[in-house]
Amino acid sequence: MDDSTILTQLDQARELAFSNRDVFPQVVKQILNLVSNPSAAVQRWCSVFLKQAFSAADSHVSPGVKVDLAIDALPALKVLANVRDLDVFKNAIDVSILVFKLTFRYVAENDGSSHVWSGVNDLKNELVAKFDTQFPFESTFDKEHDSLRNIDAKLELLKFVVTVVDYQSRSVSSKHYSLARINPNHTLIKPALMESEAAALVDVMLRTLQNDILVTPLVTATLNHLAVLVRRKRQYMDKIVPVLESLDTTQKLQSNYESLETFKLSRKYVDRTLRVLLGYMVKCQVVPPKYQAAVSRKLSVLTARGDEIRKKNILLPSPEDSAVRKRKLDGFENSSKKLRTVDYKHLYCLTDPANELNNFDLSTVSQNILVTMALTALNKVDSRKLSKALEIISDRYLDAVKDLVPTAAPQTIKQEDDNEDDDEAAESYNPETTFTLPPPKLLSFQEKKDHVALIIRNFFALANTGKPADDELQAAPNGISKELTKVAIQSWRQDSWVLLLTRLATRGLHTVDSESTDGKENSELSDMVRRALFDHFLEKIHERVDLVIEWLNEEWYSEKVVNEQKARDEIREKWFKKYEETPNEVDDVELQISKEVEALDIPTPRYNEWGQKVLDAMIPFLEPTDRKIFLRLLSDLPTLTPEMVHGIKSLCQDPARTKLGFLSLQFLMMYRPPAKPACLDVLRELAEGDQEDLKEEAQKLLTKYA
Amino acid sequence: MVADSLKVCTVCASNNNRSMESHKQLKDAGFDVSSFGTGSSVKLPGPSIDRPNIYEFGTPYETIYQDLLSQEYRKMYEANGLISMLDRNRHVKKAPEKWHNNANAGKFDLVITCEERCFDSVVEDLMNRMNNKSEDAEEKDVRKVVHIINIDIKDDNENAKIGGKGIVRLVKMIDEYREKEKQRKIDEGDEDQYPVLLEDNIMKILTEWQREHTHLPTLYTASYY
Repeated sequence: MDDSTILTQLDQARELAFSNRDVFPQVVKQILNLVSNPSAAVQRWCSVFLKQAFSAADSHVSPGVKVDLAIDALPALKVLANVRDLDVFKNAIDVSILVFKLTFRYVAENDGSSHVWSGVNDLKNELVAKFDTQFPFESTFDKEHDSLRNIDAKLELLKFVVTVVDYQSRSVSSKHYSLARINPNHTLIKPALMESEAAALVDVMLRTLQNDILVTPLVTATLNHLAVLVRRKRQYMDKIVPVLESLDTTQKLQSNYESLETFKLSRKYVDRTLRVLLGYMVKCQVVPPKYQAAVSRKLSVLTARGDEIRKKNILLPSPEDSAVRKRKLDGFENSSKKLRTVDYKHLYCLTDPANELNNFDLSTVSQNILVTMALTALNKVDSRKLSKALEIISDRYLDAVKDLVPTAAPQTIKQEDDNEDDDEAAESYNPETTFTLPPPKLLSFQEKKDHVALIIRNFFALANTGKPADDELQAAPNGISKELTKVAIQSWRQDSWVLLLTRLATRGLHTVDSESTDGKENSELSDMVRRALFDHFLEKIHERVDLVIEWLNEEWYSEKVVNEQKARDEIREKWFKKYEETPNEVDDVELQISKEVEALDIPTPRYNEWGQKVLDAMIPFLEPTDRKIFLRLLSDLPTLTPEMVHGIKSLCQDPARTKLGFLSLQFLMMYRPPAKPACLDVLRELAEGDQEDLKEEAQKLLTKYA
Repeated sequence: MVADSLKVCTVCASNNNRSMESHKQLKDAGFDVSSFGTGSSVKLPGPSIDRPNIYEFGTPYETIYQDLLSQEYRKMYEANGLISMLDRNRHVKKAPEKWHNNANAGKFDLVITCEERCFDSVVEDLMNRMNNKSEDAEEKDVRKVVHIINIDIKDDNENAKIGGKGIVRLVKMIDEYREKEKQRKIDEGDEDQYPVLLEDNIMKILTEWQREHTHLPTLYTASYY
């Protein structure tokens, strides 16, 4: 059935639902079942319908019925909230606001409804986590660029965030619904937890105002929404007022993606909105006494500035323009991943396409000079930026090439239906004959590789479908899957595929005798899986640290178990041989074996290899703001070799990231004693190096920790 | 008018001159438009500067028109354009409307004010509306994003016409972005390409427009109600 037919039927269903209140609930439930339809048009239709349904007046759907429908809608909305279509996503947010309010109150009034409560929290977490991201679009590596895009979705999500803050925190008046209405002994809605979550969300909102550039629609929208919080949530004034007081547009930086004219208008617009908000706060008498003088001064400054601006045309060049500072550019002027014109010039162009420099004919320059220029440039370029540049060019190339690859048409083999065969088969049938399946054909090594590659591709495809199913997996009668569900996968989650691939790489393809031909082949196959996991991590390093931690821990654990077993077997063989030769000299064989195994340092070369790859890939791309994820990686990796620790040295030597480097070394020395000697080695190298500032810092730490 | 057309309203102090001139021009250009005033009452010039004619919002333009014609200063009103202004207004809509009482008009995508004090008044009123809905109304309500743009226009006939042209130009530029996105989906088959989003480009539009209309200073804010 094609989309237009479905949509026609859906339109009829909507007419029926809104003209007959008796069938309305059934129609809504049917629509809720449709939101998983793979068609974007159908999902869009469903999201619009649900928005109309939950906005319907009491005369058409009674409050009680609407609450029931809201409870049923929770899982459907979670699906819609993950659809990568802007219209669907925006409608999902609007419906979620209504459904959140209805279901939150339902749980508040029906203590013990833990199933509904977990649905409410799932939906809330799903949406809140997307605030200040690029969803439903892909993030780029350029945070400044991303912060100025997808403002539509961000403005919508801000509504949801404010709704959550409003419901999950106390209000000064009882006029509106708030946490104050809820029994403090409620077993599911814990006041302290709700309040702290709400406070964290307020911090997230205020971050927009503290950004170094101005994203005018988002900043003004945040200011306007704060009008709600300042009147209802006095407990947050100590957070909000200092931020408003320190919001100074003259200190903001001009974005690389806006003109000077736009920036000057931005500052004017934000100042005016801030002035209206502060005036509103004064008029409503919500400014705490200790802030009143500061707010008055701020209002005077903003008013005077506004009066001054009114007298002139701010777009004209002015002496004050020289005071405007621009934000440092992180990205590329032309980061499009689609090739509009298929030629080498457009493939490699990362500057402004209109730049006249792009027309310079490099072939007129001698080969020697070109080589020298290229080598000099490669030496100077930041390797992280170079990697991103190559990634863009690669994507352009793949996008251009994919349309050229022909698809082989499958050949249809027609076979004539020969009636004589049936007769012949009937005559030769012997009921006494025992039939057996032919033995499976042995796969060549290449065929094995192809199959492993197919398995990997299927797992990644599974990950990308994003279809969560929270139900406990039904254990099969046989023991294999029972063991797996018991230990590793209690319920299938979107990231459960990582576990399966990890186990495949570390245990499924392991061979005891790694020196044999089979062992070498299996090793190569399992490395295919590892390579796929590693490449997946490389695609989004910051977002996939958890994945790589899980994988490397499993890698280390499996290798430890296997190698320890191998060592134990060797030691056991040695001691039993000794016992046979001189039984009187060996009193307790098992004890001797255990003691010797325990004294061993079990090697993990494979874990070391891949752990090193991960750090080598990650360290060049770390930013000073990545402290948390890097320290988490360092703390969660099961072991750190001296080579791994040594990689931190390059962080210390980078002026922009030296703090992160030294902080990491301190962290390891304090919390991971086994890594301390390697850290001290790095510090000694830095202390003996030729960079004065590094020597000083390294010496200080050596004095403290050596 | 199709369901997803831009809902626009214009706002000035009395809903008689600047907002009505731009209301008329936008309406003639085919837009879905309303207009309002933010004053406490409708004030029109009177016999002298300290004796204005004052009417309640909701008083039909026809009534005001007839009232002014019946006054002994009728000729002065004709001379200063007041009569023709009211004649224009009564053909656009029935009566001046107060912004603060416009909940029945639904919610707008775009609010264009014509004076800084009106801009402040609208922004503050939306803050109040977000705070003052009844509990029952709030439970059923989803806030809507609204873009508020102020275009400073002097309050006389000639400048109202100039300002009206500027406002039509601005609304057309904004509307073109929405049309661009629809066209892009048709051309590119809704590929996973980055859309042309109005919100992402509102600052570019305002900058471009301001450069062409330096005599009409702007203000802008994104709000909800």
